[in-house]
Amino acid sequence: MTTLAGSRRLRLTALLTPVSLLLGTCFLVPLGIMAVYSFLTPGLYGGVEWSFYPYNYGRVLGAPLGDVEDFDPVYVEILLRSLRLAGIVVALSLVISYPAAFWVARFRGQRKSFVLFLVTLPFFASLIIRVYAWMLILRPTGFLNLVLESAGVIDAPLQIIFTEVSVVAGLVYILLPFMFLPIYASVEKLDPALVQASQDLGATPWQTFRRVVLPLTLPGVIGGSLIVFIPAFGNFVVPALLGGAKVMLVGNIIEQQFLAARNWPFGAALAMLILGTVLVLMLIYVLRIGRGGVAAGAQA
Amino acid sequence: MNPPVQGLLEIGGAVRIFRTPEGSIVTALDEVDLAVRANEFLTLLGPSGCGKTTLLRAIAGFEDLDRGDIRLDGISLAGVPAYRRPFNTVFQSYALFPHLDVADNVGYGLDVKKLARRQRDARVTDALALVGLEGYGRRKPKQLSGGQQQRVALARALVNRPRLLLLDEPLSALDRNLRQAMQIELKNLQHEVGISFLVVTHDQEEALVMSDRIAVMNGGRIQQVGTPGEIYDTPANRFVAGFIGVSNVYAGTIDRRDGPHCIVRTDGGIDLWARSAAIAAGARLDVMIRPEQLQVVVERTALQGPSLEGTVERLVFVGADLQVHARLADGSPVKALVRHRRTPLAGLEPGSAVRLGYDPEVVHLMAQQP
Repeated sequence: MTTLAGSRRLRLTALLTPVSLLLGTCFLVPLGIMAVYSFLTPGLYGGVEWSFYPYNYGRVLGAPLGDVEDFDPVYVEILLRSLRLAGIVVALSLVISYPAAFWVARFRGQRKSFVLFLVTLPFFASLIIRVYAWMLILRPTGFLNLVLESAGVIDAPLQIIFTEVSVVAGLVYILLPFMFLPIYASVEKLDPALVQASQDLGATPWQTFRRVVLPLTLPGVIGGSLIVFIPAFGNFVVPALLGGAKVMLVGNIIEQQFLAARNWPFGAALAMLILGTVLVLMLIYVLRIGRGGVAAGAQA
Repeated sequence: MNPPVQGLLEIGGAVRIFRTPEGSIVTALDEVDLAVRANEFLTLLGPSGCGKTTLLRAIAGFEDLDRGDIRLDGISLAGVPAYRRPFNTVFQSYALFPHLDVADNVGYGLDVKKLARRQRDARVTDALALVGLEGYGRRKPKQLSGGQQQRVALARALVNRPRLLLLDEPLSALDRNLRQAMQIELKNLQHEVGISFLVVTHDQEEALVMSDRIAVMNGGRIQQVGTPGEIYDTPANRFVAGFIGVSNVYAGTIDRRDGPHCIVRTDGGIDLWARSAAIAAGARLDVMIRPEQLQVVVERTALQGPSLEGTVERLVFVGADLQVHARLADGSPVKALVRHRRTPLAGLEPGSAVRLGYDPEVVHLMAQQP
């Protein structure tokens, strides 16, 4: 028995070692470097000086050099704005994807495959090009304003680009498949007989949704929300192109610190704070919705 | 004036037509009339695709009728959604909610009606006890065997005290031994709870064992409704005779009458004696005799009463009985049963001549199907 278990463990170790090494070197080591850098002194001309410097975090939170008199919560504001917009993006893509998933799940055979192909089609083109296309659509002389003006709906072009609206639209557009696919997968798995059983047992359509459909598709909703929220929170391409300088998100600040300002320790501190925020929010979300949702479903 | 209410549930002139994805038209229900009586075990029996499941779904409210009506206590159910019908279904796949434990599955119907907690718990406990699953309340459906899952499905339906329990192929997912035990158990359960059961099955043995009455369906039509005995002994037509049990059926014409009997000449030219109903000579009909009603003797043994002559083709040992497959003079096949024989009768072997004696009283005449 022990030899059998032993050889099994040996085989598992052999199989898992390359993956562990790859993940370790390409994922954990850079993360470690970031964590260390965030506590180092920024060099005068970029780079770092190897001495402990705790004020990177102080600056993020609006009190550089630990001096509360200089309190300027600009970075906290950007952090909160990023959170808010990421939340809106998650909510919008959820509202679009959830009904769409049920709609697509009803299709059969080729038609279904075709629709799923359409969902993944944007991945075949470069992200930058697709966001540029949105610039062409949303700018004052762009497609949307042209159509609205010639239809007589508006007199003057709407200022959509370089607002939060355009940033949210762009983020929803690029992240929608990541919400749709996990939800679709859980809707597809939902046995129609369970819905009928619920009706058969006297549940109204709303009760059936609350007690059967929602709890059973919740894993897809949670998964989709997480993998939309995280990139929406840290994205810098979309706010840079569609938000201009007016809608700056944490991703842009970090990019600036690393590339333009060449203040790596400060950028690293910002990145670590985002990481911490995301981890804490994820934990709360999974624990609250994941457990509470199912329990509420059984109670309502 | 309303017609007298003869049943709990009455189906009148039900028609349901489907268009298949390939574009052809299928008449799943073709002018179906059926009444389910109070406190009876009624089985819808038929081959797959005969419309029995469509009928069950129409009663449950998952399927609309193109024509006709379903009435409960004389009141039409047209337009009443499934969740407002006082029926419950045991689904073929059981359809237990995987995210709820057994007690919450069983209590589901009571929870959506917002029954008080204490009452709800008491009824769930009673329902689980009824199906022999006390103490299983906190398990998830996945942790149960197929037979146990089926009991949960039964409890989940019965706990709501429906006017009628609908069961869609309830035993088809169980293995043979369990299925036979459950047939008896279902019947006992029906007597115990006093709720009418309407069961869909394609298994004739199951139908014969469980039912108070059987409705045989084929091609979207009800072929015959009757007790298992009536269906077996006096099938309405060739389809019913062939679908339930083993039978010898021959098409023929009434040749002449002889006292209380008439003689049917089959299309192959063989004469069969039958107790005469008031049928005129020359009428076309099907004549049936069950294998166990043929008395097998080797040729030249003296027999009282009429008999058929044939040649043995093969002998098939089927447990308690020995089946004799033979051919009549005109080449048409005939099956006979020798009861309680492990070894063939002396002289009975493939190729040998046999005589098959019968009592004209049990020869059954059936109208021919169009």
